[in-house]
Amino acid sequence: MAVKVHIHTTHRQFTNGLELVGAEGNTVGECLSHLIKQFPGMDKALFAKKDKLLNNVEVYLNHTSAYPDELLKPVKDGDDIHLVVMLTGG
Amino acid sequence: MLTPSERERYDRQILIREFGQEGQGKLKRSRVVIAGAGGLGSPIALYLTAAGIGMIRVVDHDRVALSNLNRQVLHWEEDVGRKKVDSARAKLRNLNSMVEIQAIAETITEQNVSELVDGCDAIVDAMDNLPTRYVLNRCAIEKKIPFFHGAVNGFEGRAMTVLPGETACLRCMYRGLVPQEKFPVIGVAPAVIGSIQATEVIKYLVGIGKLLTNRLLIYDGLKVTFSEFRLNKNPNCDHCGSSAEKE
Repeated sequence: MAVKVHIHTTHRQFTNGLELVGAEGNTVGECLSHLIKQFPGMDKALFAKKDKLLNNVEVYLNHTSAYPDELLKPVKDGDDIHLVVMLTGG
Repeated sequence: MLTPSERERYDRQILIREFGQEGQGKLKRSRVVIAGAGGLGSPIALYLTAAGIGMIRVVDHDRVALSNLNRQVLHWEEDVGRKKVDSARAKLRNLNSMVEIQAIAETITEQNVSELVDGCDAIVDAMDNLPTRYVLNRCAIEKKIPFFHGAVNGFEGRAMTVLPGETACLRCMYRGLVPQEKFPVIGVAPAVIGSIQATEVIKYLVGIGKLLTNRLLIYDGLKVTFSEFRLNKNPNCDHCGSSAEKE
């Protein structure tokens, strides 16, 4: 399945400035693995360890929260994955 | 019942069809607590005071620093070193003497939060850290007081509204602690998000419009875009889910 991954502002330094990256896989996790193959810097930006997202990373699939078990969520051709960083400032 | 002076003062918003004198009366009878008198708290407090909320309680333990002035527009150069709540109260009283302003210079903790928000119809999140936001979120759910969340970083911000027992809360997507860091921000970002939070509070109190419930609004000031994401109430949430109710 081919999906579109929307990269958060703070992560674009790892994607050569790209806001939108194509990725393939059957689940969100597989698509993120494919994203990291293309842009290895995204690994540390997203994951605390293997299969464990950083606590401040939120994943939305087709504009809906993929929480919990985000990485296991199945995807279809044309789906949109948004990677968003939680904000804490005020 | 509005006085002639109030009818004159709020004339332009009373003219809004959904609002009217009835809506103004509801604001006059409302009590709102704003947690934080900083970047977000400034526009929230200013617009809620201007709108004519009956009582606004501002809670902040901090003092004004020079580095606050790029965004915390309630505080001016002459206020550096002053308690933020004292600075805020002075400005808000000058803006609208019809509004009761309560200024509380305390740190919000699990121990005092219930007392700090007691008697209020709305809790507005204008904090600068996640742990205190969760303290407020839990208290809001326990006391069944609507909670209006906002947060910023750089040119970006987000907002959502929580109706306890009905909609997703701030904790529903919790995965663990997030490191606390000094955050970059330009004043116009909390200006936008704080204005959205104030809008939500006014809509809720008057009972009009569609609230930002089960929706997360993300604003990107660099692109000037608003994105909306659907949130789901988490039945296992330790604040608002079934496990919380058993505790």
